[in-house]
Amino acid sequence: MNEQRKDILGMLAEGKITPEEAEQLITALERDQPPAAASPGARPKGKAKYLRLEVDTNENGEPGRVNARVPLQLLRAGVRLAALIPPQALAKANAELSRSGVPFDLAQLKPEQLEALVDQLDEVTLEVDQPDAKVRIYCE
Amino acid sequence: MMPQLLTVRVDRPQGRAIRVWIPLLPVALVLAPLLIAAALAGGVACLVYRVRVVPAFGVGWRLLCALPGTRVAIREGHTAVLASIR
Repeated sequence: MNEQRKDILGMLAEGKITPEEAEQLITALERDQPPAAASPGARPKGKAKYLRLEVDTNENGEPGRVNARVPLQLLRAGVRLAALIPPQALAKANAELSRSGVPFDLAQLKPEQLEALVDQLDEVTLEVDQPDAKVRIYCE
Repeated sequence: MMPQLLTVRVDRPQGRAIRVWIPLLPVALVLAPLLIAAALAGGVACLVYRVRVVPAFGVGWRLLCALPGTRVAIREGHTAVLASIR
């Protein structure tokens, strides 16, 4: 029972509203609430468990295929490695990035932000089509 | 849960496919002395490179425990390799 319904029943018990008014309020409340079941085509958020990588190649007429499935949990564990990088290594990496024209401060990148990024991956599908290769990355 | 079984399958153009099931826990027990030595070496490396040792081992353990479900299949022409961790 939600809070609004409790409030209506409380007002009814205290005699502030009549039973008819309470019924009207509860009916209005049910009308305003979103349906409990999601649409059939929608995938529940956060349901994806695996990152899939599919690469199809055709070099010199010889077909090749890479099909990899990596648990997203592995990525989540991997991003925690970022917290272990010593500051002097971060400073060196930042200097190299700046020298390459990418002024990016890796020290600002927190594991929590990377985990949030991994959590949103289940919505991502990346497809690259080349004449001799096709790459598809998605979550399932 | 740490990985229990590694399955490797190799399909070759000639001959039969090779399929190997490797139970990881018994293998880890057999290789325990080497694993302990590797862990000590890893700890020393962490100290040398000023990486916090305990969190590093924690992340390593989490990575190991996240491995089940990993599956990699590579096919090139008539040769194929499949590795799967359960």
